[in-house]
Amino acid sequence: MIQEMKISLTVQKQAYAIFFVVILSLVRGVTDSDEVGIALEAPMAALALTFCADTYTQEIISRRSEIWRLCPMKRRVCAIYRRMAIQEVFLLFVAAAGYGLFFLFQNPRTDRMGTEGPAGEIGRFLIYVAAVAVTLGFWGLLSNLLSCLFRNMWVGIGGCLILWLITNSSFGDKYLGVWNLFSYTFRELEDGGDFRWIYGKMVCICIGILAAAALPGIMKRQDR
Amino acid sequence: MGIKIEDLTVTFKNKVTAINHANLEIPEGIFGLLGENGAGKTTLMRVLTTVLSPTGGTVTLDGMLYSEGNYEKIQKKIGYLPQEIDLYPSLTVQECLEYMGDLSGIPKETCRKRIQYYLEKTSLSGHRRKKMKQLSGGMKRRVGLIQALLHEPEFLIVDEPTTGLDPEERIRIRNLLVDFSEGRTVLFSTHVVEDLTATCNQLAVMKKGEFLYLGNMRELLNQAKGHVWICKTKDEGEARELERRYHVSSKQYVGDELHVRLISAAPPRTKCSPCEATLEDAYIYIANKEP
Repeated sequence: MIQEMKISLTVQKQAYAIFFVVILSLVRGVTDSDEVGIALEAPMAALALTFCADTYTQEIISRRSEIWRLCPMKRRVCAIYRRMAIQEVFLLFVAAAGYGLFFLFQNPRTDRMGTEGPAGEIGRFLIYVAAVAVTLGFWGLLSNLLSCLFRNMWVGIGGCLILWLITNSSFGDKYLGVWNLFSYTFRELEDGGDFRWIYGKMVCICIGILAAAALPGIMKRQDR
Repeated sequence: MGIKIEDLTVTFKNKVTAINHANLEIPEGIFGLLGENGAGKTTLMRVLTTVLSPTGGTVTLDGMLYSEGNYEKIQKKIGYLPQEIDLYPSLTVQECLEYMGDLSGIPKETCRKRIQYYLEKTSLSGHRRKKMKQLSGGMKRRVGLIQALLHEPEFLIVDEPTTGLDPEERIRIRNLLVDFSEGRTVLFSTHVVEDLTATCNQLAVMKKGEFLYLGNMRELLNQAKGHVWICKTKDEGEARELERRYHVSSKQYVGDELHVRLISAAPPRTKCSPCEATLEDAYIYIANKEP
């Protein structure tokens, strides 16, 4: 596990992820605390899709894939899953820390709804963590899958960015509605009891599971 | 035990034929593979490690045919050191080898013992805590070789394992490969002719995707016998003329005289004397022999 951490979380990768959220929390303006999650979700998705794109392709770039292919498939797949899990957990911590940084740098209003108090803030934060965990998982898995499929991380990043641009737009909001991959970002802030955005996250979970399940098949196909 | 290659052809999408109807049997022990750049050696090794599928012909390992259904079984029997490899730069030598061992499915304790043994054999024990990115090219090469040996494969393929090593290390690695080859098959590809002279009896010479020579070392040397000459001259112009007309394997100043070692099928039309052929001479003779 330690080896996997050192392989998938290099100092450079950690540095650019932290730098990214620090800059984001400084430049992306928010007025109220319930805007923090909106400000973070889509950029964190972009970070996840670039961060995870080299999970497998680093083996190709460094020419280790010729040795890798001699190892049992089950062990190789497990190694990639472990790397994915490590990266996703790290990104989740960064996303949670980013939420805190918005409060530190911008001190957003917390009394918008008037009555919720600190408990309401904690609740909002936990909902954000749950939503962003799904988002990070989805974009990370998809990006790794595409990179693996085309044996090129730039194809993985590019393909995901196109989808990111489509879904993180008024077009995506209008036509996909609550089924949008960024349904949490486009949710109605005024209606705190409206949790229909969960449908969009369910779509993310379903596609993410499919992407994770397809990975062994794609790796096997790459061997041929 | 061994590898049998029959009528093997590899043609790439750009219509370049890297291996052209080649036949070869690699028996137990160390088998040398010699050839110029672009001769098809690496392509052959990539076929043998199942990285590439041949366009035509068959390959068998211990009687097991190289086919989709058998690939997993074959891959378990192979250890491979590619020509270029960048092992995990952020891991230490020990961590890197433990990780590769774990990926191969070697039990942890066995893996640690083997790592210790091979680190000692390759004089890397003192560097086990160093990160891979801190190692010199020769050290990285040795770690690469250890990862190929770690699961004790029946068939080991090494592509220029001695590149970047100092003479003492080169000898150590050669001896390690000789020890390892007992009861196993080792395919040793190199440009360094001395490495083959010191390790193997059987070898193949490749050129443009075909085998120019298959057999033992002595027979290869015999073929070059009577075709190697030494010409002594004080005239640099004459030396240049010899270089233009013949294949010169070496030039050396001895006092004020220039000794030119040349390879020629017929006696050269200049004052010279025959001499003993080395493997390097034999290789040049075979590689440039008129068909």
